[in-house]
Amino acid sequence: MAGMSGKRLQKELAKIQGVLPPGITLVSAPDLQTWHMDLRILDNPLYPPHDHYRLKFSFSKNYPIEAPEVVFLRLTTDPRRDIPIHPHIYSNGIICLDLLDAQGWSPVHNVESICISIQSMLASNTKDERPPGDAEFVRSNRARPRDINFLYHDPSV
Amino acid sequence: MTLRGMRRLEARRQMEESNFLLSKARSQNLNPPVDFRLLDYVTAYDDNLMCAICRCPFVDPVVLAECDHYFCRDCIRQSWGSTYSPSGPRGDCPQCRTPARLGTRSATSKILVNILDDLLVKCPKHEEGCPVSVKRGEVEDHMNIYCGYAYQECAGERCELPVRRKDADQGCLHFGVSCFDCHETMQKSTLENHWRSECAVRRVTCPRCNMHVLSKDLDSHNSETCEAVSIPCPGASIGCTSRSKRSQAQTHAKSCTFAKLAPVISSQKSRMDEQEAAQKLLSRKLEVLETGFGVMQGILYPKVSVEADDLAADESRIPFLDNSASERTLPPHHPRMFSGDSSGNALSPFDFPVPPTSRPSSAAPGVARRASPIGLPPSESAAALRQHDPIEAYNTNYDLASPGLPPPSTSGGPYVSPLHHLLSMHESLRDEMSRVNSALQELDGRHSMQTLNENLRTREEISYLGAQLAGLSRQVHWLTSTQLQRQSRSATPSAVAGSSSEMAGTSVEAAVNAVSTAATALRGAARMVSVGQGQSSSGSHGPMRRENSAEGRTKL
Ligand SMILES: [Zn+2]
Ligand SMILES: [Zn+2]
Ligand SMILES: [Zn+2]
Ligand SMILES: [Zn+2]
Ligand SMILES: [Zn+2]
Ligand SMILES: [Zn+2]
Ligand SMILES: [Zn+2]
Repeated sequence: MAGMSGKRLQKELAKIQGVLPPGITLVSAPDLQTWHMDLRILDNPLYPPHDHYRLKFSFSKNYPIEAPEVVFLRLTTDPRRDIPIHPHIYSNGIICLDLLDAQGWSPVHNVESICISIQSMLASNTKDERPPGDAEFVRSNRARPRDINFLYHDPSV
Repeated sequence: MTLRGMRRLEARRQMEESNFLLSKARSQNLNPPVDFRLLDYVTAYDDNLMCAICRCPFVDPVVLAECDHYFCRDCIRQSWGSTYSPSGPRGDCPQCRTPARLGTRSATSKILVNILDDLLVKCPKHEEGCPVSVKRGEVEDHMNIYCGYAYQECAGERCELPVRRKDADQGCLHFGVSCFDCHETMQKSTLENHWRSECAVRRVTCPRCNMHVLSKDLDSHNSETCEAVSIPCPGASIGCTSRSKRSQAQTHAKSCTFAKLAPVISSQKSRMDEQEAAQKLLSRKLEVLETGFGVMQGILYPKVSVEADDLAADESRIPFLDNSASERTLPPHHPRMFSGDSSGNALSPFDFPVPPTSRPSSAAPGVARRASPIGLPPSESAAALRQHDPIEAYNTNYDLASPGLPPPSTSGGPYVSPLHHLLSMHESLRDEMSRVNSALQELDGRHSMQTLNENLRTREEISYLGAQLAGLSRQVHWLTSTQLQRQSRSATPSAVAGSSSEMAGTSVEAAVNAVSTAATALRGAARMVSVGQGQSSSGSHGPMRRENSAEGRTKL
């Protein structure tokens, strides 16, 4: 099983080092467990096109049967990265996206398709706000993203 | 007969399977079963042969009867892990989310299985040194029977430890030795592997260049640094067929035109690929925009053809349109937007509020075909028409009718797919529609206010005229009565006086007549105003109205 995960990630990495859709770049993949990707939103005044956002992917040995853990990172040193404002992204970087939880995940998804989904989720956003109860959540949450049961309060976004 | 035959077949199949499982179990002790999804493929394979879950060519492919998607048997079982039910594996298709169950084995096409089995793979032990490439269908045989690097039981007496097949005839190798170079102790059977990949001291002589290299680096030496290995010219990709020893490659490259051009050409090529990808994206966007534009025009056209005659006949609307347009501070090119369409008719914004259902729907596809400017196939335009529901599409008219509002932001950056693009365009059109709707309501309110004001003013004028008339008739009465008194006083004295009084009488009569004519004219005017009041919503064009509308418009 671990073998399959590694093999698939190797293949994805080889593909990702080739051509990627505009606005998505691979920053580093030091091992096959953790990847860093940079995201740029090209089409939304809420996110200036020159701002990059850093995504961190963590793969379990059950990938792709199990979804990877995907969060935004805040970097305070150069290069600076912030966490995009979105009603489904908490200020600690946790993303509330049905694709990434156990019910919504499908093993046919991959790093590229996840990046595209997050990118289009941001591109279609019109609200300059955090999810309701963000401060409370960020203060109290100690669970890993995959163990959180999000309520998809607004499936249209 | 057939039933018995079936049973016999079934029995044989079961026996074969159990035999196979037995032999597999025996060899598993020493060699773990080959996981086909971990094999390295020698040749490139078609993407259609790739399982969407493990991204390898299918291993034991199964097809989901409900949606025809193929997966490896193990892949689909693993992804359905938690939803395994007694009636067989079932779950949602990972690709299309159709609830499905596993199809029968016979459902997968034999051709597919044969193609998959013919793919060339490297021996699973290639990292340990086996150089063999075999067809995928024969990998297990290779491992179980031929591969020199697979393990088997040691031939030594009372020794049951595993040994590589190629070393089996050297007798039992399970005795301790130590590496000549690093003095690490190990079993003889693992010494070779130690040299191959671990020993940090042992050096061997390269058979080609006679250089001493670390034994574990020999592979990379051969492929990367060995001076004696001949490598192709750097310009090989653009035509140089020369191969030279690595040591002489530099000298060749200096004189080879191909080699000099290669980096330039490859950078050009990558730039061209980039441009091509960008262009593809743009043409995709253009196509979507054109389709959207075609839809808009398609809805614009039928109304133009229906109302063209009315509009052309009714000239009084055009100044009205110009006026209202300038007062809403529209850009000067506004009228040109209408003259741009082929019928050349000016369209007043007031001509649009026809209920969408009244649009002849049968005319739409034909019009869309006419409207799509750059040879879009009609089926595509029609499909695009279907994608917009009529109400949304209908409202796109307002974009053209009121260009003073910001244009819809559909011309933005790249979209992930045309669907995304259409969705966002749909959203912006919806916004536009609500804006235009409210603008229209406001306009309607102003219009009725204007009518009201006009009527008010007319009524005031009439009452003023009436008051004047009353005053006039009072004066006439007074004149008549004084005249009559004077007449009766001087009736007898003289004929001259009588004739003069007669003259006065006729003049008074003429005055009375004039007053009554004025009264009739006033009544006529009053009637006209009341008629105008009744018709004002549909727009009357009597002289009165035209006179007053100049004032009314300044208020609008
Ligand atoms: Zn698979
Ligand atoms: Zn399916
Ligand atoms: Zn082999
Ligand atoms: Zn032995
Ligand atoms: Zn050694
Ligand atoms: Zn050498
Ligand atoms: Zn050359």
